[in-house]
Amino acid sequence: MFKKVLIANRGEITCRVAATLHEMGIRSVAVYSEADRGALHTRVCDEARFIGASEARESYLNAEAVVRAALESGADAVHPGFGFLAENAAFAEAVAAAGLTFIGPTPAQVRAMGDKREARRLAEGAGVPIVPGAEGADAKALVRAANAMGYPVMIKAALGGGGKGMQVAQDAKHLAEAIEAAQRVAASAFGDASVYVEKLLEHARHVEVQVLGDGQGRAVHVFERDCTLQRRHQKVVEEAPAPTITADQRAIVTHAAVRLAEAVKYRGAGTIETLITREGQAYFLEMNTRLQVEHPVTELVSGIDLVRAQIEIAASGRLPFEQHGIKRHGHAIEARLYAEDAARNFLPQVGTAARVRWPDGPFVRVDAGVESGDQVTVHYDPMLAKIIAYGPTRESAIARLLGALDDTRVHGVVTNLPFLRALLRAPEVRKGSYDTEWVEREFLEGFAALMRAPAPDLVLAAVAIAEASGAPAARPVNGAPERALDPFAALGRWRQAGLSE
Amino acid sequence: MKSWWRDGDRVREVELLQVAPGRWRVRVDQSEFELMSETMPDGKLRLVGDGRDTVAEVTPEGARRFVRLGVLDFVLERESGGRTRSASGAHDGGMEAPMPGVVTKVMVVVGDEVSKGQPLVALEAMKMEHLIRAPRQGRVKKVAASPGQMVQAGAALVELEG
Repeated sequence: MFKKVLIANRGEITCRVAATLHEMGIRSVAVYSEADRGALHTRVCDEARFIGASEARESYLNAEAVVRAALESGADAVHPGFGFLAENAAFAEAVAAAGLTFIGPTPAQVRAMGDKREARRLAEGAGVPIVPGAEGADAKALVRAANAMGYPVMIKAALGGGGKGMQVAQDAKHLAEAIEAAQRVAASAFGDASVYVEKLLEHARHVEVQVLGDGQGRAVHVFERDCTLQRRHQKVVEEAPAPTITADQRAIVTHAAVRLAEAVKYRGAGTIETLITREGQAYFLEMNTRLQVEHPVTELVSGIDLVRAQIEIAASGRLPFEQHGIKRHGHAIEARLYAEDAARNFLPQVGTAARVRWPDGPFVRVDAGVESGDQVTVHYDPMLAKIIAYGPTRESAIARLLGALDDTRVHGVVTNLPFLRALLRAPEVRKGSYDTEWVEREFLEGFAALMRAPAPDLVLAAVAIAEASGAPAARPVNGAPERALDPFAALGRWRQAGLSE
Repeated sequence: MKSWWRDGDRVREVELLQVAPGRWRVRVDQSEFELMSETMPDGKLRLVGDGRDTVAEVTPEGARRFVRLGVLDFVLERESGGRTRSASGAHDGGMEAPMPGVVTKVMVVVGDEVSKGQPLVALEAMKMEHLIRAPRQGRVKKVAASPGQMVQAGAALVELEG
């Protein structure tokens, strides 16, 4: 087993990986950029190494600096987390060339699945249905192919992932502009401007399967997750199990995922993403060769620590368990807390998270990357934390997540917390009757109207009185959150129409 | 004592009169009421009035005030003198950055005739791209953005005339 592991990442995922390393008795090494001096992830690791300027290219995307930090710290393995270098084959190669273990798939697997066009070919070869699409550098040819496929279509970065740079075009006129925009983001975010066009499957649900492979042709699945609640084509709420699929559909997607993982002799943890249409047909979207942001929901229902499994596979080349030993109980649901203004087109926000309080009730898990006083900068992804709740049923898990979100406080930077709290109270979400476009198509307008309602007079009075009495800012409180008050009783006659939920 | 606070797209006026320690006469826009306040040991504000008893947490951060009242969160921003500054540059012909970010592409030069909705500047922050579009038809008077440039929220990037 490894003695010391460098985590080539920042924020909440570094904290989460460090927790498992600590539990396994493995020393952890954080890396940090100029902007992240003293950041939470550097404080929770056993040591921290400076790797470069704030701009990600100079630090967290700088493979050479990360490998040098790993060598200098005496680490024997590197965990890439997700994002940054996690799906960069050259980085995986550089880690191996330095004599260190990359906790993840082989460079060839990262490269093959990282090129979404190649991934589609591999999936097709393994008998997994793929979404109709077209590829190539010639924008005119892509437009012609889209015309033949029918609109709307999606334009995706060939080397992309995580929804970044994704564009939707409703007709040929907008497709050319969308291709250009997608190429720009792809070039800047992934270092390659190649894009491909895929038919947009409407009214579909996003269902993905967690797999683990031993790198020698054996793979298991840890069931599926539903990540249908999205904004800007990026997931915002995820859950396990998928609430709407049938046992047959579950069997089809999990078997297809294992078949694909075994066909490519996949090593480590990966996720096969699919779209399931209203008619019940599942289509392969892509395979992510890394840990997913939403892995905690799988961990809570299976009892499997996926980071530990990654480390054990990397160290031993063996799967830590057989398929028949993987069981699932209850329901888990996760909400991603972003520094973004949901009422203003989800614009990313920056600032000081002056006062942060995370919920800590039973059956609630918080994977956080910030504490009170931490900076949220323009340089990195605006996700601050994930709040996850478990319950015996979906209903109880949602109720617990809502309670946890009510107890969450992030002051100093605008977050999507009001959005999450409203979203999880929506009847469609309770019923499970939504698709990947539902938030933007049907939910957002009502939410924005709610946010446009004037604040109750009492809020204005509180601000003015706090100002006048020179009241010190309430101190950050660590420990048990106080009981949430009934909003209606609390607001009394000052409550304005439109603010009730 | 009067103060003004931006609340979404409106500015609210608050007038506060201290009638005794911890006792206030408050006017918010047109409505008037009385409140008693108490700063609790943890810094939160207890507000009592009309038989209601509420706890508010007010966190100042620059000009902004983050308020938790009951279980609802609000963000207000201090305004000076009650005059509304234009919320977006769309009204005065200046196209402003909606967020801090890096300019990735400038699609117009001074003198260009642009139509409403035409993309002018591409801005990227946190790996998300935002297109600044012309709010109306006009001629480009000034371009204050170049690729690779880091800009702050509210920075005027393009000015239109005509």
